[in-house]
Amino acid sequence: MEQAFPRELGALDAVFDFVERFIASERLGEATAFAVKLAVEELFTNLVRHNTGGRDHIEVGLELVDDRLVVRLDDFDVEPVEIDQQTPAGTDLPLDRRAIGGLGIHLVKSIFDALTYEYHEGTLRVTATKHLEDTHV
Amino acid sequence: MFEISHGADGQIRLEGRFDASQTDRARGVFGALSASCTVDFSGLDYISSAGLGILLGAQKRLSEEGHRLKLVNMNRHIRDIFHIAGFDLVFEIE
Repeated sequence: MEQAFPRELGALDAVFDFVERFIASERLGEATAFAVKLAVEELFTNLVRHNTGGRDHIEVGLELVDDRLVVRLDDFDVEPVEIDQQTPAGTDLPLDRRAIGGLGIHLVKSIFDALTYEYHEGTLRVTATKHLEDTHV
Repeated sequence: MFEISHGADGQIRLEGRFDASQTDRARGVFGALSASCTVDFSGLDYISSAGLGILLGAQKRLSEEGHRLKLVNMNRHIRDIFHIAGFDLVFEIE
């Protein structure tokens, strides 16, 4: 499944509706459903916030390939940004030194097996993949 | 759908999906706190780093005045997210 969404946080309701349709169609279990929602939101909001010069829409693709969940976001007409180089989340720091920057990507990297960035002729493709064991309800 | 409300017992109750589009509303509620408070997660299905950021900001501000948030009734998936984020080190979670 794939669908394009406006480059704005106000599009998140529509993004989640799309993700819910994928979850229902593939009959994904609770843990996998949570993971795919989290990856799509974190990656989408990162692109909205950091790739401000791209087209009006960001394309989100979701699929199961064998036993792998693939979450893919394409951002068009953007400069090559290095989302992955954000400040580390610092998850072991004391409260007064904690910052929220980089936490979303840290969560995705922790839950998924791989997070890759490909840049080609103005299009940034971000792909998160996760091996599934108890995929279905 | 996301709801945030104050219960009669003084607790803050979170319900639904706490995503990046809901931070302004939540920031208003947590920003108004001036004392320790319990946050009831029993109705919350989902939270992302955006929601975690609101809670972290509130905890930091309250702790400077000797107060804190206590988080209760998280589902298993949200508890996992708190653990991965290391938030179980900076929040009291029951």
